[in-house]
Amino acid sequence: MQEQMSKQDLNERFALVESMIAEGRRSTESWGWVFLLWGVAYSVAIGWASCGRGLSVWGSNYVEIGPARVGLAWPVTMICSVILTLAIGLRKGGRRSGTASVRAIVSIWISVGVAMLLLFPALGASGRLEEHGFVAIVTAMLGVANGASGLILRWKAQIACAVVWWTASAIACFGSPAQTTIVFLAAIFLCQIVFGTYAMILESRRSRRVISHA
Amino acid sequence: MPELPDLNPVIHGKLRLAVLSLLAGVEQAEFTWLRGKTGSTDGNLGAQLLKLEEAGYLAVEKKFLMRKPQSVYRITEQGREALAEYVQALKMLLGPAINV
Repeated sequence: MQEQMSKQDLNERFALVESMIAEGRRSTESWGWVFLLWGVAYSVAIGWASCGRGLSVWGSNYVEIGPARVGLAWPVTMICSVILTLAIGLRKGGRRSGTASVRAIVSIWISVGVAMLLLFPALGASGRLEEHGFVAIVTAMLGVANGASGLILRWKAQIACAVVWWTASAIACFGSPAQTTIVFLAAIFLCQIVFGTYAMILESRRSRRVISHA
Repeated sequence: MPELPDLNPVIHGKLRLAVLSLLAGVEQAEFTWLRGKTGSTDGNLGAQLLKLEEAGYLAVEKKFLMRKPQSVYRITEQGREALAEYVQALKMLLGPAINV
């Protein structure tokens, strides 16, 4: 068969394989960066809110902190992260996801994100937000999203992340604000930064698998 | 001089090759997603998917979602190997003429 084919035809076939693999990956499989981005965002918010004044999720226990500065750390960081996530997501190809499982996972994360973005500002405005409760709710919700995603994908690493979040949620109900912050930061590091990096490495390897095996 | 490899005729067709390559990059995909990505018609895509399925390169799961029929395709290990061998054969045939 190949005697009848020109080099150009064969090159077209090769380019087709590469472009289609890349297309599939772009549409459905690039999520590691989101975990990494939000891991950094949470860490920046905590660092900004409590910098130089002891370890606390938002440093509100310290009278000397200007209220505007403390109050701005979380809203500014979270709004910037949402904008950044949307911008990068659209740039990477924000078209309708093609598989039922991907749509299910995206729906879970959007729902959890919307719930958090509505709940915490409302709790803050009503004066009913306190550190232990905040960390317990955030970690529990992230545990739900990771657990559901991990079960849909049958991905043990993500289910392990859910277990870490749920454990952090239970621990956050006890101990001092500083201890709660340490637990929160540890969970962020493991389940957002480490897991996000791991997912990005897997995505990169998988996209090259067919070509590099050949 | 090494013998030139044969290209697998089952996946040599452009649409079949495109579908197999798309599925190599995802866990699984619905018929409508594959149709959108390849820009093919229902009839043509269905026929090519059937050929790949008969060769054991694809597995299909047919189900109903909200009372609508849904076909979900995924590449098999055999299909992944066939695609890898096909790319290897292409590389050998092209040699230094490969455009990468």
